[in-house]
Amino acid sequence: MKRCLSILLALAMLLALAACGGESGGDAAGADELVIWHDKEDAVIQALQDYLAQAAPELKITFEKKTSLTDSLKLVGNDPSAAPDLFIFAHDKIGVFAEMGILSPIGGLVDAAALEDMLPMTLDAATYKDTLYQLPLYFETLLFMYNQRYMLPDSVPATTGELLSYMQANTGRGRYGFVEQHSTAYYSAAWIHGFGGSIIDENGTPFPDAGAVKDALAYHLKFVRLMPGETEYNTVNTLFLEGKADATIGGPWMVPSAREAGIKLGIAPMPTVDATGMPLAPYSGVQGIHVLKFAAENKTEAVKELLAALADPAIGVSLALASGCAPANEKCYDDPQVAEDELVQAMRATAEIAVPMPNIPEMDVMWTVTGNLLTDVNLSGKDIDASFDAALAQANDLISAMK
Amino acid sequence: MKSRKRATLYSYAWSGPSLLLIGLMVVFPILYTAYISLTNMNVYHWFDFTIVGLDNYIRALFVFDSGFLSALLATILWTAMSMLFQLVIAFVLASLLNIQKLRFRKLYKTVLMFPWAMPGYVSILLWKTGIFNSQFGLLNQWMEKLGLAAARWLASDVSAFICCSIVNLWLALPFMIMIMDGALQSIDRSYYESALLDGANWLERTRSITVPAIRPIIAPAVIITIFTTFKQFDVVYLLTQQAGAKTGSGFHTILTYAYENAFITNNYGYSSAISIIIFVLLIAFSARYQLREEGDR
Amino acid sequence: MSKKKWKERLSLTALNVFFIALCFATLIPILYAVSVSLNGQNSLLSSDFSFIPKNFTLDNYRAVLFGEDIMTWFKNTVILAAVTVTLSLAVAVPAAYCFSRRRFPGRRAILKCLVLLNSFPAVLSMFAIYRLLRPMGLVNSRVGLILVYTGTMAVFSLWNTKGYFDTIPVEIEEAARMDGASDMQVVVRIVMPLAKPSIVVTALMVLIYVWNEYIYATTFLTGEANYTLAAGLNALQATEMTGSWPVFAAASIVVSLPVLVIFFLCQKHMTSGLTAGGVKG
Repeated sequence: MKRCLSILLALAMLLALAACGGESGGDAAGADELVIWHDKEDAVIQALQDYLAQAAPELKITFEKKTSLTDSLKLVGNDPSAAPDLFIFAHDKIGVFAEMGILSPIGGLVDAAALEDMLPMTLDAATYKDTLYQLPLYFETLLFMYNQRYMLPDSVPATTGELLSYMQANTGRGRYGFVEQHSTAYYSAAWIHGFGGSIIDENGTPFPDAGAVKDALAYHLKFVRLMPGETEYNTVNTLFLEGKADATIGGPWMVPSAREAGIKLGIAPMPTVDATGMPLAPYSGVQGIHVLKFAAENKTEAVKELLAALADPAIGVSLALASGCAPANEKCYDDPQVAEDELVQAMRATAEIAVPMPNIPEMDVMWTVTGNLLTDVNLSGKDIDASFDAALAQANDLISAMK
Repeated sequence: MKSRKRATLYSYAWSGPSLLLIGLMVVFPILYTAYISLTNMNVYHWFDFTIVGLDNYIRALFVFDSGFLSALLATILWTAMSMLFQLVIAFVLASLLNIQKLRFRKLYKTVLMFPWAMPGYVSILLWKTGIFNSQFGLLNQWMEKLGLAAARWLASDVSAFICCSIVNLWLALPFMIMIMDGALQSIDRSYYESALLDGANWLERTRSITVPAIRPIIAPAVIITIFTTFKQFDVVYLLTQQAGAKTGSGFHTILTYAYENAFITNNYGYSSAISIIIFVLLIAFSARYQLREEGDR
Repeated sequence: MSKKKWKERLSLTALNVFFIALCFATLIPILYAVSVSLNGQNSLLSSDFSFIPKNFTLDNYRAVLFGEDIMTWFKNTVILAAVTVTLSLAVAVPAAYCFSRRRFPGRRAILKCLVLLNSFPAVLSMFAIYRLLRPMGLVNSRVGLILVYTGTMAVFSLWNTKGYFDTIPVEIEEAARMDGASDMQVVVRIVMPLAKPSIVVTALMVLIYVWNEYIYATTFLTGEANYTLAAGLNALQATEMTGSWPVFAAASIVVSLPVLVIFFLCQKHMTSGLTAGGVKG
């Protein structure tokens, strides 16, 4: 009897101890200590850290890498003992977090003048329901890349028709004329946009132009038949990096590995769809810093100082040089080194046609719905009309289930 | 009378810490999920949710369409097949590993445990990209060397089902072998000696001595494995249904199906209702197959 | 006689060949990881894959062992695992003994409920556990994580040890009780040694769970200094945009090895006291 009492007692003490330990750790953080969550590559964070150590030396800034950042944020919400003060992420989750009520608008925290230099596309992307929720740092878009060893710069297809005939002539025996992650929503959106369609409009209506989406699917299928039956990125990227595919559509993150693999990389504008005369317009993702409500209210000065430092073109330039990011600040492109960077300039050019990923909460389910639709059509060989109807029904179900 | 009361109290005190922890970490989440399932907690009412009664359950019933039914059937088939193979293979291997003259059996056992020592998501990734990938996977590289046509292993329902089963088997066997091995160790050798004297062959000895002896010992582990197999998500999702890496197979377990048709909506009230319905469904199943009696001997 | 011996040797050789082949087959995915981890190129795939890498390099292992805070993570994991395993056994063994030996009101009902608890799809449990730990101030604390791990594994621990206790004849204990041993003495001196296989299995199960668990670990502990091995490994995981597959593969191997060593060392304790002469002696 005594023994079990002592076990219980020990357990109770353990709990009490932990309770004390937890308290002292959580709220003691000073007003100039900021925790920033991110899921970015080391080079980007290193550049940010180096820059901030100079530009805002009195702030104690901790960067914490979170692999499942959005899930963790949904869990900890706005809890000061567990949540970060700010986080760096793409703009497409703004709607979700703003509706949840954990994001603070940026408007009052950053000088309006500082925002004037931002590319309009990045500000559009960072705005949800007429409120700015993100300070854009840089953006990324998909690019048409080719291997100059196999595809000569003057034979780069300017239209999708040319691309198709190039693929027909150069695919076979384990080689591919062109590969992409064909059944992934993020990649295929470019084709849907090229036909004037879209995955979801700003009011949350899925596939507003059904005809355009079906046309895009049917046309795209001709290309998919000349590509491998895998949509997953390891396969697609390895094919290109091993020199087994002449061209691909990929993100800027491919560039370092392509250089490492010794590929003479060429970057070309996106081909134009013959039927519509519009280019394949990929999604763009604007990476920027978001402020959580708690930090905006309780650490206002520190947050303001940090945002002011990050709005400066200098950080954009160092990010561009460190990791090939395309800065959101227009002034960065005046820098001679940035002006020479072919990759950054190519992304800036693509920014003119790129469509910012929708940032409304409804988009969250559309990634899966569109992925299913593409998989059904491209990989399972199902009928386009039937698959589209099923996808539209699923989209409507899921969107109504969100509320 | 008094001493009986005391004895009861005593028993509860001894098992108290364990039951308390189970209450906190296992029972509380169920109750909490049940509570959330009655609210409208979703992206639009994250903190200011209110009780909405059974609304979520009424809506959830629409998810139980033909897609859900076929996922349910597939899950039952999947569980039955997985358990059958697991038990038979684990039993045979554990028996062989118990042959005393096998000198390196500790080494073999250790190597066979390797799949268990690695985090599941890592090994599933290795299977998906290293083995089954249609462009570069080892399977297709071997097929090519044998002069056979390359296949898209994860693309069709049946072959995806088989591939997922193989990976699940690979992941689950080490634990099952270990449990069987431990159980086999507990059998008193003298039983076998007398059976041998009676001239019983291996099959008879297995049926009349080994199986009855290990049955109560492995029952808890087997029942828990049945539930984990039924609720399997990672293997099927990561191999065939992961967003951005789908393979074209239509094979879903109830959980991957519920994930795609409910959990991704960020509607916690609604998702909780689905979880509770699956919970009740599984309880009904286990009652049907009297799984609970097994643990109660 | 010699013919019989010859036959026995042959079947033993066949058995050895069988197990060597089986071990190799089991290891294929892992050998794949080993090969990727020894390769100089940052790719998970290759069109002419061989188990012996072409650009052999140990750099990836060097990067894991010296580039990351792996010793801190290792220390964190060992602490977590040791405390969780000890706590799990400390709460499970007395409870299992009670449920196996004593009869009290509510026993059957609790046992039935414990089985049914397994039916719950725990996908959404994280949220509830967070709500539970927060008011107790246990978010971002090791104690919180230990309680979560112990609680999650408690049903298995209790049940698995109880199943084994049931098979141990009560008569063995009674002799000791006649000599005036208390319940605690009976459990520690007699039941536990006899139930060693199942206790070791339970401990290993808890250990491996803690060792490989990363979802709770990354959610409830922040800061790289608090990472466990599994959490650190998860952070190293390469995605399309970042990371290196070979380093990740090397880290996976490095993280798995200690478990195997422990498993190998534990094996001699997995033979039962019963067969070792506990009953007769």
